[in-house]
Amino acid sequence: MNGGKITAVERRLRLSGILVIAGLCVEMASLRWSHPTAFLFFILLGGALLAAGILLYLLTLVAASEA
Amino acid sequence: MFGLTTPVLVILIAIILILVLVTRPSVTATKGGKILAFVVLLVFPVLAGGLGVTEHLSKSKTTNFCLSCHVMEDYGQSLRIADKAFIPAVHYQNNLVPRDNACFTCHTDYTMYGDMSAKLRGLKHVYVQYFGKPAQPIKLYTPYNNRECLHCHLGSRSFEEGATHTADPKTLPMIKANQLSCSSSDCHNMIHNVKGLKEATFWKEVTQ
Repeated sequence: MNGGKITAVERRLRLSGILVIAGLCVEMASLRWSHPTAFLFFILLGGALLAAGILLYLLTLVAASEA
Repeated sequence: MFGLTTPVLVILIAIILILVLVTRPSVTATKGGKILAFVVLLVFPVLAGGLGVTEHLSKSKTTNFCLSCHVMEDYGQSLRIADKAFIPAVHYQNNLVPRDNACFTCHTDYTMYGDMSAKLRGLKHVYVQYFGKPAQPIKLYTPYNNRECLHCHLGSRSFEEGATHTADPKTLPMIKANQLSCSSSDCHNMIHNVKGLKEATFWKEVTQ
């Protein structure tokens, strides 16, 4: 621990986690809805948020290994 | 109630574990924390996405899904017309098609199950649902393909030996080659006929 402060890597991981949670929430909500629009929400919004979170996580790993 | 299907369960577990990571990101300094981050930020989301797509695809084959758009309501009602001449109705009411998947059984190449142009038409349908005005009456983009009938009827005795089908030796080969339409050759041409719904009487399903 850094006296309650978080490092840049941890900040990125936190943001990645928030994006993934947001994506998962959208996907969960869409799964409760049986309508063509639900599938679009699932793919376009949920998928985009998940992809952004995963990408940020992978970029964080790459950046951390190069540092 | 909130049904706990497998994708929902995976999503809930993932959210709980990610919350641990978000509230205490310092855990990633340890080896266990790194593994946790890998699992919850990569494995679980990919798993949840895959399971979710499977569930959505499965749902999209249901009758309720097809009838969830306002424009399809009349077509749903036409499945309950109490008249044996109506082909979709007689199939639906007698379990000749599974009632929960009635639409998809006879329209297997519709929107996301068709080619790329069918998928694009599906997107257009969603757009029209919210921002446009659907055509009245709605029509199939291509003539109804006998394939949809033949995937059940082909080889069945009533089809292969039926008096009308065998009266002319050319008839069956033409039907099988989709050159003579089952539905538009003055044979089985009472399809959904939604225009006549107001005058129709409806079958009331007996619940057991």
